[in-house]
Amino acid sequence: MSGTTAARGSAGPGQIFEPDLLSRCISCGFCLPACPTYALTGDEASSPRGRITLMRALQSGDLDPDDPTLREQSSFCLGCRACEPVCPAGVQYGRLLEQWRVHQWRGRRRPLLARALTLVAGQRWLLRLLGLVRGAARTRSPAGGLPGSTRYLMLGCYERGLFPRVSRAARRLVPGLSVPTDQGCCGALHAHNGDLATGEALARELGRRLPGVVVTTSGGCAAHLAGVLGRDRVRELSEELAVAVPRDPAGLGEVRVGGRRARVTLQDSCHLRNGLGVWREPRAILERIADYVELPSAATCCGAAGTYAMLRPRDSRRILDPKLDEIEAAGVDYVVAVNPGCLRQLRTGLRRRRSPVRAVHLAELVEMAARAASADR
Amino acid sequence: MTTLPGPVLDALRAAVGAEHVRTAAGDLAAYARDATPLFHRRPDAVVFPGSAAEVAAVLRIATEHRVPVVPRGAGSNLAAATVPTQGGIVLVMTRMNRILEISPDELLARVEPGVTNAALADAAAAQGLLFAPDPGSRTVATVGGNVATCAGGLRGLKYGVTRNYVLGLEAVLPTGEIIRTGGRLWKDVAGYDLTRLLTGSEGTLAVITEVTVALLPAPAESRTGVAYFPSLADAGRAVARVLRGGLVPATLEFLDRRCIAAVEEYAGLGLRLDAGALLLFGDDGPPETVADSLARIGEACAAEGALEVTCAREVAESEALLAARRCALPALSRLGSLTILEDATVPRPRIAEMVDRIDRIAEKHGVTIATFGHAGDGNLHPTCVVPSAEDTEAVRAAERAFADVFAAALDLGGTITGEHGVGAAKLAYLPARLGEDQMALLRRIKAAFDPAGILNPGKLGS
Repeated sequence: MSGTTAARGSAGPGQIFEPDLLSRCISCGFCLPACPTYALTGDEASSPRGRITLMRALQSGDLDPDDPTLREQSSFCLGCRACEPVCPAGVQYGRLLEQWRVHQWRGRRRPLLARALTLVAGQRWLLRLLGLVRGAARTRSPAGGLPGSTRYLMLGCYERGLFPRVSRAARRLVPGLSVPTDQGCCGALHAHNGDLATGEALARELGRRLPGVVVTTSGGCAAHLAGVLGRDRVRELSEELAVAVPRDPAGLGEVRVGGRRARVTLQDSCHLRNGLGVWREPRAILERIADYVELPSAATCCGAAGTYAMLRPRDSRRILDPKLDEIEAAGVDYVVAVNPGCLRQLRTGLRRRRSPVRAVHLAELVEMAARAASADR
Repeated sequence: MTTLPGPVLDALRAAVGAEHVRTAAGDLAAYARDATPLFHRRPDAVVFPGSAAEVAAVLRIATEHRVPVVPRGAGSNLAAATVPTQGGIVLVMTRMNRILEISPDELLARVEPGVTNAALADAAAAQGLLFAPDPGSRTVATVGGNVATCAGGLRGLKYGVTRNYVLGLEAVLPTGEIIRTGGRLWKDVAGYDLTRLLTGSEGTLAVITEVTVALLPAPAESRTGVAYFPSLADAGRAVARVLRGGLVPATLEFLDRRCIAAVEEYAGLGLRLDAGALLLFGDDGPPETVADSLARIGEACAAEGALEVTCAREVAESEALLAARRCALPALSRLGSLTILEDATVPRPRIAEMVDRIDRIAEKHGVTIATFGHAGDGNLHPTCVVPSAEDTEAVRAAERAFADVFAAALDLGGTITGEHGVGAAKLAYLPARLGEDQMALLRRIKAAFDPAGILNPGKLGS
């Protein structure tokens, strides 16, 4: 894959979708069983194939641009991209959805909350302030660019406010990362919420401010950045740890709970797994530091799906609830997330149930294991 | 927008609940097609019944008002059998997706029609049982749809097809009566075999609302292997040699060079791209029987000039090979955005001959045909790959080529469709296969079931 946006096409004048992307689908339906919203409804219109049929009708003018089914289905879709790895034809559904939402959520049709969230995330100075207040980058090592470093830690937009411990843990786990505080949002939020142009511009801007390999603790951001900057510019944390840990095998101990090895499970990040094909790496690390339990729904969306949990809270909980049932029934101590949205979703859901299971980010759990090792030394 | 009169819609809403009746333009657009290219027509309403009683109510309304009804499962049909070519109601069975019972004592399962083939197979496997029919679309397709099309699959050679496993049906006649055919009995000759008549009737005679299927004890072991050949005809000769040798293995699937390349691009299994054909073979049973069977197939392949023969070492590897084979059709769309797939079937010994004829037909019409299929049971899937659906001349050339393919299959004593069904796509070729007397009989059977002609009109006996 090329490292520039030139690799990504665009729709022609007057077109909503890139015709080549749209024509790739042969409607075989192999995506249906992978789709969480089709599983909820059994309705073709809320399946990936059905949505592509709708997109085609929109592009050809067979459906009115403001058709209510188009509006509903473009918003009901989680955008989890579970349909992509199972598609033998190689349809880039995630890309099509981004283009669909540009049309569907144009101007004032964009949900107010999505407008507010993207507006805030687009302000670099505000994020910088947020990071400083919450101490996302605070450690003993210098916060700015390390001389000669070519690897940078991305702080994320909302992550640095909501979960500042995550970046701090990542810095301790991967020494030598530069962490400039004047870095903005990667633009994934914008790209998934109907503002693809800003989403790609922000990614390029971040690429300039972090002019090497960008290490991120967010699977969703990793996939978006890789799409714009090129795969070789991006490392999600578990990929980074997969390289770092074997170099210092004694650096990791084990996570213990009540005098025994902890039982943990993983919630995949949809875009990390379905977009970048990264899912073995976090499991490999978790198996080292705890008793890892793979749950049947680990790879399916938790319903966070970016802004989805806020824009469609009822549907989001219909997706989440069976997963939480499964997690609680499995008797695990921790459920591990590799994306801040999933972390928030799981943590909120488990708290609501007063569950003893704790949701943590991979960086936090691995740091616990690292601390256990240094305490033993 | 819908053209159904208000009173009909009101009656439908009263029958199944307003939330299960859709008439918005966008909802209708989603049901205008199935997995068949080139066929689409928007229905006037989409209805999701939740029980046999609701299906009966819908059908009584439809018969009274002469509204076409097209039953649909997951819409993975490849012959446009679930496209509402005359409008009307698409009756979507996905809400009725419960597994009602799995009985290890009686070796049977009772399911609602909307459950997927894979969900039933998994539930059976959890009890050490095998649901044998396994069409390529098994994760998507519903059991109701499998029965309605008498779906085949990768195990057809040894285990037969869907009809061999349907013990009984609950079905609703277009006039609203709910009937039960067959049942839990392995022997039952009371009356005409309506179970078999409805199996493969493509939703033209009745709407299936419950299926009782036979299960088998799961074989102790399943293994597969791969052989590469210089050409598809060579692979066909190897298959003939295997079968002559007295073996009936579970799986004998082949792919030509183009299919191998497309599948490899998707699945990345490390398949050889320099070979003209790949034969995927497999068997199941007690471990020693399976080992013997695979060894003998390997020998037969070598005798027919196989370039290489290897056996999968692990179950996961076997599963990956079979999964890749099932993806052959959609993977082919990497070669062109329109893939027209056919289903011609010939007597087993004539498979190499049929492969040669397909090659000549492709050359004659200047079209690209990639072929894969169930070599063991003579069921071929020649697939015409067209760069774009807008290229009408190329589409016509493909259609002309397929007319020749069907003629060739019939000439060799075969049929126009082995497992996908006739639907709207192959109806024009049906008289050539059945003859006028049988066509007339089909029409009389249709009239006996469906006097108003509302169920899937324009298909089979119309």
